[in-house]
Amino acid sequence: MHRSLIASFALYSAALLLTLFTLAPLVWLVLMSISSPNDLTSVPLNWWPTEVDLSRYGHLVDLNNGAGHRFLAALRNSLLTAGGATLIALIVAVPAAYAFSRRGASLALLFVFLATIMMPPITYVLPLYEIFGGLGALNKTTTLIIVYSAMLLPFATWLMKSNIDVLPVEIEQAAFMEGASTAFTLRRVVLPLALPAIAATCMLSFLVAWDEFFYALIFTSDLSAKTLPVAIADFSAGRVTDYGVIASVGVLATLPPAILAICFQRFIVSGLAAGSVKG
Amino acid sequence: MTNNLQKKERTAVSSNPILAVENLSKSYGDLRILKDVSVAIEAGDFLVLVGPSGCGKSTLLGCIGGLTEITSGNIQIDGQDVTHTDPAKRDIAMVFQSYALFPNMSVGDNIGFGLEVRKVPKTERDEKVNQVAELLKIEPLLDRAPAQLSGGQRQRVAMGRALVRDPKLFLFDEPLSNLDAKLRVTMRTEIKRLHQRLNASIIYVTHDQIEAMTLATKIVVMKDGVIQQVGSPREIYDTPANIFVADFMGSPAMNILDADVTMDGLMARVEIAREDGQEPLILYDTNPGEGITSRPAGPLKVGLRPEALTDLGSRSVNADQQFDCLLDVVEPAGSDTFAVIRLGGTEVTARMHGDVDVNSGDTVPICFDLTKISYFDPKSGERL
Amino acid sequence: MSAISRSREKWVLLFPAILVLSLITVLPFLQTVWTSFTDAEITAREQQVNWIGLENYIWALTDPDFLEALGRTMYFTAVSVGLEGVLGIAVALLLNQKFRGRWFLRVIIILPWAVPTIVNAVAWRLIYHPDYGALNSLLLQLGFIDSYTSWLGDPDRALNMVILADVWKNFPLVAYIALAAMQTIPGDLLKAAAIEGAGAWKRFRSITLPWIIGPMLVVLILRTIEAFRVFDIIYVMTRGGPSDGTKTASFYVYQEYFSYLRSGSGASYAVVVAGISAVLILAYYAGIRRDQRGA
Repeated sequence: MHRSLIASFALYSAALLLTLFTLAPLVWLVLMSISSPNDLTSVPLNWWPTEVDLSRYGHLVDLNNGAGHRFLAALRNSLLTAGGATLIALIVAVPAAYAFSRRGASLALLFVFLATIMMPPITYVLPLYEIFGGLGALNKTTTLIIVYSAMLLPFATWLMKSNIDVLPVEIEQAAFMEGASTAFTLRRVVLPLALPAIAATCMLSFLVAWDEFFYALIFTSDLSAKTLPVAIADFSAGRVTDYGVIASVGVLATLPPAILAICFQRFIVSGLAAGSVKG
Repeated sequence: MTNNLQKKERTAVSSNPILAVENLSKSYGDLRILKDVSVAIEAGDFLVLVGPSGCGKSTLLGCIGGLTEITSGNIQIDGQDVTHTDPAKRDIAMVFQSYALFPNMSVGDNIGFGLEVRKVPKTERDEKVNQVAELLKIEPLLDRAPAQLSGGQRQRVAMGRALVRDPKLFLFDEPLSNLDAKLRVTMRTEIKRLHQRLNASIIYVTHDQIEAMTLATKIVVMKDGVIQQVGSPREIYDTPANIFVADFMGSPAMNILDADVTMDGLMARVEIAREDGQEPLILYDTNPGEGITSRPAGPLKVGLRPEALTDLGSRSVNADQQFDCLLDVVEPAGSDTFAVIRLGGTEVTARMHGDVDVNSGDTVPICFDLTKISYFDPKSGERL
Repeated sequence: MSAISRSREKWVLLFPAILVLSLITVLPFLQTVWTSFTDAEITAREQQVNWIGLENYIWALTDPDFLEALGRTMYFTAVSVGLEGVLGIAVALLLNQKFRGRWFLRVIIILPWAVPTIVNAVAWRLIYHPDYGALNSLLLQLGFIDSYTSWLGDPDRALNMVILADVWKNFPLVAYIALAAMQTIPGDLLKAAAIEGAGAWKRFRSITLPWIIGPMLVVLILRTIEAFRVFDIIYVMTRGGPSDGTKTASFYVYQEYFSYLRSGSGASYAVVVAGISAVLILAYYAGIRRDQRGA
């Protein structure tokens, strides 16, 4: 079918508009992070930096700088928390997913699992706060890891289940026939076959944990456990006069998920679609 | 070690069946897949379960293997009740239709998997794997991944994995159906050779009646979850238990015709109507069974294999039983020439010699051989 | 495998997951429900906790501030999910056309989704900044406004500005799912309709929309569940202000707990929020069922 000139014009205009809408806030965030404070406080704004100023990034990766110290501590905490929670969630989710997929565990139970993450966290955060407070476990990375793994677990189970569902069941049957136990079959046969699914699940879980703010806000109070989202909220709420610093922290916190999202787009989109739509 | 791949002396315990299935039923909700199935085989038997798709043969195999939970009945392997035993503990091996090779392991690791599970030391494992590979002529492939193999090679690896453990019973689930026609014939021969060499006890599921005939020492024909007939290939072919078996086994299928059967002395007189006001065929069965002699005259279904309708050729058949027939369609097939004739209200196939010179529309004399005629009840379809 | 060992094994496989979820979510939730019937407070000293029945609920459901917060949450949810739906489908329609550079647009659309929620909130707060914000500067330079405006300073406008920021981050998910659904429409169907003389709008209404409605419904309900518990973006952009203009239900409960330290009444608010969420969650499962039956 050939498009008329008007239709083409409308199409490309819409595409351009969408590109601007999508990219403008991000481009502006990056520009802010490399503009001089003067450019950022002129009225109206100096859109293009008079000179590129990378000093903020330098400060942020410098342990001896105040902001850098806070940023790097938060980065470490975020990596540990998101990484640890992803690991635990996967270790717990894979056997559960296998039970749902191959051992006839009731799907109603899986829906209960999923309902726990759909409930607003505000509905159960206070008892958790009091329990962890009583155990002296507040403001600890380990505590966040445990809470996050519960948060990641239902989705990870769900994703792994739909991926195990499509593995050929005869291969597992062959393993049982050869005398293998379920644990042996899981480790030696199912896991290697499900490796791409595990990678996708890990990535999505990591991104969710990386993004989490609410629990981190309530359960952490200083640099020993605060994660990046909380640190960024602090930065922006504090008396920082240079907005470029806030922007550069934002850029750094966005880089890992943005790179993952671009590189593994197919994985992520299909994972999201499976997680949100398929029943 | 070599001796376990050589012919085993299991005939000594022949009084004890290696597998006995008794009154087995399997239902999914209201859907009854297997209805009161009983079957047993002796050590060294090659049992083929054959039937159209959906007849329950694969389910039965799954029950024997322990992959499918049964609804009622019991299963014994080598005298032990394994009805509720894990597949892992039944001492059986299975070759799957899809081969079910572990894609993440080399061919050698695939074959050795069962030994690895049983914690057999590496050196002993390698030795056994090599022996099996030698037997199946796949030694050069041991380090390859299954994805790099052809269909026939995967088939061999799947068999190797089953053979290496020397189990009591082998289960084959339509193992040749994913191969192309030529390879299927080769592998069929190979499986038969392996069975003869190892004297293994095998249960083999197929929907292909030629595979069943060529491989089996014993055939079980199934339909709708019910066993129709159990017997040697010859019994199944020559004396089918009902019209279903007669029609299903053999290619081309047995001709089933309407006929009036009356006793004429010691002979049975079989009268078959012809088309267009032609005189009916009057044929005589010189040796009818008791099922016919004791029965009042009347309409019946009779079954004649295509080879019972043939040209004169060199056959020493009763030349009296010879009638001119119009050949509707002639289909030369090399070694044989098949001709379709209209008889008894239906189309029947005659099997003529490959070198006869006939064409569609010719009228030629056809000899009828009634020595292996089958009689069926027209209502129930059961053999008389 | 025998039925007994299979079913025992099933529970062994499930046990760790059930344990983690029970301890971290289910039991605390039940504790919240119990607390909602008491006058408990968050305090360091020993306190007498009294069972006060439905008093908290009577209080909560007659508290105009809380009801307003609920109403605000529903407004936020309805408008942002509605916009995400419309924008998502429009973007998917665009990305389903053939044009040069389409692959690029398909790739970059994922970026807003990848931006962490907090960074998104911070970025938009800077864009909305009353003195140095990009939005002010842009609109002034284009001549749309005469002087800088405090976008988040007006209680009536602030919530809408937050919604814009939320829509920017979340429309990609909806767009991807709409696009995935559109790509399964057989091309012949649309061609046949075009040959029959159906215009673009007619084709959209009678073929595309019915085809994608199932998955769209499910993803939009999921977004509704998420939007209903909105907290982080509010926390960073406005802290519920100005004059409670953006105080949503989750934020309201958060303050009742951690600013006023009233756990009993806070819990009753939380249970009301949970009840509404439960209705949404049930709607989600009903949507999935419907979608599967349709498919």
